[in-house]
Amino acid sequence: MSYSRDSGSNAEDVALIRRMCDSDETALGALYDRWMRSLYSLVMHLLKDADEAEDVVEETFWQAWRKASTYEPSRGAVSTWLLTIGRRKALDRLRAKRRQREEPFGSDRTFADLPSPSADPLQNAAGSELRRHVLTALQQLPAEQREVLELGYFGGLSQTEIADATGQPLGTVKTRMRLAMQKLREPLSMHRQGTV
Amino acid sequence: MTDMSHEEAFSELAAVALDAVSVEVGAAVRAHAAVCPECGPELAAMEEAVAVLGQLAPDQQMYGGRAAGIRSRLVMRARAERDVQPGTETGSADLSRGVASLAGLGHKITPVSQRAVGTDAAARRVTPPGKVPPMRTVRPERPERNRSIMGWMALAATLALIATGVQLMRVSADRNSIRAALATRDSSSREDSLLAQIAEKDAMIAAMGGADVKMVSLATESAQQPHGKMFWNRVSNDWMMITYGLRSPKPGMTYQVWLVTDDAKISAGTFKPDAQGKTVMHANYALAPNALRAVAITEEPEGGMPAPTGPMIVVGSATL
Repeated sequence: MSYSRDSGSNAEDVALIRRMCDSDETALGALYDRWMRSLYSLVMHLLKDADEAEDVVEETFWQAWRKASTYEPSRGAVSTWLLTIGRRKALDRLRAKRRQREEPFGSDRTFADLPSPSADPLQNAAGSELRRHVLTALQQLPAEQREVLELGYFGGLSQTEIADATGQPLGTVKTRMRLAMQKLREPLSMHRQGTV
Repeated sequence: MTDMSHEEAFSELAAVALDAVSVEVGAAVRAHAAVCPECGPELAAMEEAVAVLGQLAPDQQMYGGRAAGIRSRLVMRARAERDVQPGTETGSADLSRGVASLAGLGHKITPVSQRAVGTDAAARRVTPPGKVPPMRTVRPERPERNRSIMGWMALAATLALIATGVQLMRVSADRNSIRAALATRDSSSREDSLLAQIAEKDAMIAAMGGADVKMVSLATESAQQPHGKMFWNRVSNDWMMITYGLRSPKPGMTYQVWLVTDDAKISAGTFKPDAQGKTVMHANYALAPNALRAVAITEEPEGGMPAPTGPMIVVGSATL
C-alpha cells in the first residue's frame, strides 16, 4: 500500500464521511489511505517523535470515525477537519510536555523549515497552486508577524503566553496574529474566486 | 466568557483558528461565529488557511508496516464497534474499547511477561512444495440462516474477535519490546536489525487485524498444547499461522499444513517449529471466500506429500 500525499477531491472525502456515518468501516480505511501521509507529515513536523506522531495519527482517525456525524461541509474541507483534529492533539501533547518539564516558551520549529514555493514537491498535484500561494504569503510576512504565527502554530502557545515569550503587549500580539492570518487567508479567497 | 460582542469575537478569530486561546474563549467565539454572517466565514477561511499550512509540512513517511498496522487496527476497531452492538452507540463504544484494550489497540501496552510470538528464525515464508495440487476456485456456499445458527455464529465471532485481540496483544507487546530495545541501540547494524523486526511485527499485526481476516483456532481434542491460530486475509489471500507447543518432528519428517475444502485437501506448505515449539508461517493461496472448511497440520515425510498421510497433530474448524 502506498499512501498518497495529494488526495483527490473534497467531494470524495465527503462521500467517505457519509459512509462512515452509516458505520461503513471500509470508508474509514479509504479516508486513512487518502490523508494519513499528510497528517503524519504535519504531526511529525510538530512533535519530532515518530512514536508520538503515530499515536496521534491513530487517535485522529479514530476520533474522525466516532465523530463523523459532527463534520459540517459548510465549515471547510474534510482535510481541514482532519488536520485540525490532528494538530490539536499534537499541540495537546506539546503543552503537556511543557507543563511536565517546565520547558521554556518558544519553539525550535519555524516556517523556515518548510519548503520554498518553487521547491514544493507537490507542485504538479491538484491543490499545489493554493499551497504555493499560501507559502508565498507566509514568506512575505513581516518578521514580527511571522514570529507570532510560529509560536502559535508550532508551539501551541496562547496569545498571553506569546506576549510573555516575546515581551510584547497582549494587544500587540493579538493585532500581529490577526494581520498575519488575514494575509494567509487571502490566497484562499482569491483561489475560490479563480483569480489566482 | 459566554456572551461576547462582535468586536471582541472578531479580534479573537485568528487566535481561535490557531487554537491559541483558552477553551472558554474559543467556545464563546465559536458560538458567536455560528450565528454571525461576518465572523463565521472569516473563521472558516482562517481555519482552512491553518490547515493549508499543515499540508506544507515536509513530507514524512512511516517506517515499514506501521502505516498498515495502524490502518488495520482502526478498521478492526470500527468493525468491532459496528458488529458487536449495532445501533447502540454508547454500549458499542464501551465494548469496543474493552476489546481494543484487550488487544492493545487503543494504547501502548507493557510487554512484561507477555508471551512472545515466534522468532525471526521461526518466521519464514513458506512456498508450498512441488506436490501441491493446482489452485482451484471453489464455489461459495450460502449458509442456512436461522436464529439458532445466527446466535452461535455471533458467539463464535465474538470469541474469535477476542482471540484475535489476544494474539494482537502478544504481537504488539513483542513489537513494543523491540522498540524499547531500539531506544537503547548501540550500533547501526543492530538498529537496522531491530527496525526490520518492527516492520515484521507490524506486518503481522496488519495481517491479523484487517477487516477481511478470518481466523481459525487450531487445537487437539483435549484442548491442550499444541495449539495455534491461522489468519486468512480473504482479500489479499495472505495466510499466517502461529503455533505453540509443537515438538520437533521425528527425524526425516516435517509438519505440513492443509487447507480443507469440500472437495480437496490443499497443501499450504511445510514447516518445522523452533526450539520452543513456536512457528510463524506465511503463505499466499487464493481460495473462494467461503470455501475453507478446516485447517489441519499433519506430520509427513520431508518435502511434504500431495495428500495427508500422517497423523493429524492439530485441526481447527473454519465453519464456526
